Amino acid sequence: MSLQDFLASLDALQCDAQSAFDSADDAESFEAARVAFTGAKKGRLKDVQKQMGAVPNEEKKTAGLKLNEVKSAIQTALETAQSRLGGGDDSGVDPTFDPTLPGNRPIIGHIHPITQTINHLMEIMGRMGFEAAEGPEVEDPWHNFVALNIPEDHPARDPLDNFYLATAAAAKADRNVEGEQLLRSQTSTVQIRIMEERQPPIRIISLGRVYRPDQPDATHFPMFHQMEGLLVDKNVTMANLKTVLRVFATNYLGDDVEIRFRPSFFPFTEPSVEVDFLWDGTWIEFGGAGMIDPNVFKAVGYDPDEVSGFAFGLGVERLCMRRHGITDIRDLYSGDLRFLRQF
Amino acid sequence: MLVSWKWLSKYVDLSMDREELETRLSLSGLNHEGTEIVGGDPVIDLEVTSNRGDCLGHLGVAREIAVLYGTSVKTPEVVISESDEAVDSLLSVENQFIDACPRYTARVIKGVRVGPSPDWMVEALAAVGIASVNNVVDSTNYVTMECGQPLHAFDFAKVAGAKIVVRPGKKDEKFRAIDHKDYQLDDSTCVIADAKQADAIAGVMGGAESEVDESTTDLVIEAAVFTPLVVRRAARKLKLHSPSSYRFERKVDPVGVDWASRRVCQLIQELAGGEVAKGVIDTAPEIADRESITLRSGQVKRILGIDIDPQEITRILNELGCTADGDDSDQGISYVPPTWRHDLTREADLIEEVARIYGYDKIPEDAPIPVAPSEKRPFDVAMDRVRAVLTAAGMSEAMTPSVVTAKVDDSLSPWTDKPALQTQTQMLKGSKRLRRTLIPSLLQGRANNWATASIEANLFEISHIYLPSDAGDTLPSEQYSLGLVAGGDFFDLKGIIESLILRMGISEPAKVTPVERPGFAKGGAVELSLGDAPLGYLGVVDPKVLKQWKLPHPVVAAELSLPALLDASRLVPQQQSVSAFPSVQRDLNFVLAESVRWSEMENVVRSAVGDDLADLVYVETYRDEKKDGKGTKRLLLSVVLQKSDDTLSGDQADALIQSIVASCEKKLSAKLLS
Repeated sequence: MSLQDFLASLDALQCDAQSAFDSADDAESFEAARVAFTGAKKGRLKDVQKQMGAVPNEEKKTAGLKLNEVKSAIQTALETAQSRLGGGDDSGVDPTFDPTLPGNRPIIGHIHPITQTINHLMEIMGRMGFEAAEGPEVEDPWHNFVALNIPEDHPARDPLDNFYLATAAAAKADRNVEGEQLLRSQTSTVQIRIMEERQPPIRIISLGRVYRPDQPDATHFPMFHQMEGLLVDKNVTMANLKTVLRVFATNYLGDDVEIRFRPSFFPFTEPSVEVDFLWDGTWIEFGGAGMIDPNVFKAVGYDPDEVSGFAFGLGVERLCMRRHGITDIRDLYSGDLRFLRQF
Repeated sequence: MLVSWKWLSKYVDLSMDREELETRLSLSGLNHEGTEIVGGDPVIDLEVTSNRGDCLGHLGVAREIAVLYGTSVKTPEVVISESDEAVDSLLSVENQFIDACPRYTARVIKGVRVGPSPDWMVEALAAVGIASVNNVVDSTNYVTMECGQPLHAFDFAKVAGAKIVVRPGKKDEKFRAIDHKDYQLDDSTCVIADAKQADAIAGVMGGAESEVDESTTDLVIEAAVFTPLVVRRAARKLKLHSPSSYRFERKVDPVGVDWASRRVCQLIQELAGGEVAKGVIDTAPEIADRESITLRSGQVKRILGIDIDPQEITRILNELGCTADGDDSDQGISYVPPTWRHDLTREADLIEEVARIYGYDKIPEDAPIPVAPSEKRPFDVAMDRVRAVLTAAGMSEAMTPSVVTAKVDDSLSPWTDKPALQTQTQMLKGSKRLRRTLIPSLLQGRANNWATASIEANLFEISHIYLPSDAGDTLPSEQYSLGLVAGGDFFDLKGIIESLILRMGISEPAKVTPVERPGFAKGGAVELSLGDAPLGYLGVVDPKVLKQWKLPHPVVAAELSLPALLDASRLVPQQQSVSAFPSVQRDLNFVLAESVRWSEMENVVRSAVGDDLADLVYVETYRDEKKDGKGTKRLLLSVVLQKSDDTLSGDQADALIQSIVASCEKKLSAKLLS
């Protein structure tokens, strides 16, 4: 091939490429032009480049210079068209970009559902002026029983119904005995400790783990959490109790909730009631409540003729499970991440 | 307590709708658990709280219904024809255990014909789940379910020496009950014995030896009072819970004892014939009067928050069997409670009676409490922050049982060497030890995740740990701990803890002191402290421990005392002004002895620069034995210099760098590489 012919075909290529890129008016025609002229396999530039071998050696330098000139002109035409169609700079879209691929998610841990429930309960009760309080889980019989009006021969003190700590005396006896320390069976112990330290008015919720020897199954676990409320002041009545519980229920369940009392029996309250909420047309047991028994006031040094008060208690697990649709209480204490990461 | 509708209708008018009655009973103290139709007869299951032993018979339930509906109870009239033969000429009773048996009564019936019971009785008992035995045994069961007083009939011929002895069980004494199983007795059990042997465990179960069968002709009828605690302990110990023990544990009506005895004699006479011997043997015929209770005016309103007409109050209490004893004053009205209501002893008890019959639905829900300020506890504020940092670091919160197995407890214990406290009863399988650290529980959690789903769980927990006290009788030292278990590098977990400490507003980093603790890899554990206060432990878990849990290593664990962390925390950050002047950053590469720790280097650099050190960053360590010789390392660090009140000049910066280099050379024999 003569130099003349080679230069002529380069000119033709440049001219065609220029007009093709100039006339490209969408991504499709641009891509067609790109493939036709600069495509790595069948592009015309590639073809012309191959013809360079046929140009006589002494004319190769001139041919090379022209080739580079044309090459850069085509590249310019391509970039101009690309930026015109891409609507901006060359940070434009890589055609391989797939925005539907998943994002790179940071690994974020999960807060236990019981913690979330407790925080929710504290928040609701906090708005009604109740402050959180805690106490030890290993207790003495005074705080767990005696001060709560549960006398020596009461069934609630039975060694089979409590986790008494092993002592030398217990080791000697061949049976379980009522020890001097036990894992608390209710958070009312905290109420006693607070009343022993402070004078009314008192408005607290006590929270924490409690322990009762139950065979574990889907709805029972020997360790669970309670929240108990206590209000002691002058002139506190059962009407106040009912009002506070209704406000609580309305807050927690997010709807105006009906509430009812059924008589019950707890040593530390008199009268004692079970509290039910009407939720989705059925009465749901919420927990126990009542007016503080005069004997409890006497045990902490209050005059039951001067002050009155109410207390209520509820199981945190039951509320948590109902809210989140959890069907097996044991999952809460499994440490199983397949469970925990759902919350 | 199962109540047969048909049976109940013998004592009280039941013309009301059944479901309405069930609801009213629920709302007045006998919670309705369910109703089943047995042979056309509705059987209502009522939950009776432990203070209401008086409702453990059909008559007791009828009494409640009569009060609720303002009707009356038809108590069966008891008529028995006695023979001329005096009971105490036939039988003697000796009570050697008054603590367990405050009252024992016995009657004798001679010449009965034991046989099947009539249909009405078989059906009545079947409705409440009791199988028919014979007309004598059925009669005792029937009266028990009628009035709540347990009764027992002995075959008189088998009562050796015609003598009943109430006494403690003897050591190693054996007893065969009517279930034909053998039970071991001891002196805490009360037995009803004859001259030779025990014939019954008092209040719990009769014996096979003195059982009434077809050949029986003469009977001893027992109606007694046994103390709740003794009966409960025996029933628990022997795992023998019966309708009888259930009722004695909840106390029986002392006046009802004799009624029940005569009533069962009447039924047996009707069904099996025989002659009732004259009189009764009664070890304690005197029944103490109940003390009266004063209900002061105004007290009902003070507790319930509603006004109830005084006449209504009196009506409710009267219908419940409380009689005004006329000892009234300006203060209030004085009532004597009925003998079957052991639970009524104080004014508060009467207020509850008024409330439950009057109706809790009449207590309003619009009596708000006064507003009062309340504050979120600093502890809760701090815990929110701890959880926020840890979850951001990819760790998830677990909750694990406080009582653990020996295997868990033995694996690791950084805080104390004292053995763990133990419960008498296991909490979960093999778990009796109160945990002294949270780490092993979290290792177990990580291991379960690995075993079941190949998940490498990075877990934390915020819970109490229980450290045994020095003196045996004081409560253990119980404190909130933060346990952390994670895979990866020691420095990954250390970094999380450092970030946590910073986020708690603690500017001074935790000090680390290498320690040896069982459960942590040798040389891989440190004690952390803030200032002089111990904060906790951090370390690589001993591969031997990981092997026990079948966990791949490495695993790094830490536990911090939350009170210690909180003590040092500043939860309300105070702004530090940001310097407006440019900073100068310089990288420095030192070669120094392997034994020099980063913390020493850091201290030297900090004190060499002083206030103008805006930041000091560790970059990396590498070793080149060929160039630098054995036992040396290179430490690359980066310093940021800045003045708060002026631009740092190039000369000033150079001078500070020179000071660092000189100090490192002098104090650490560290040489700067150019």
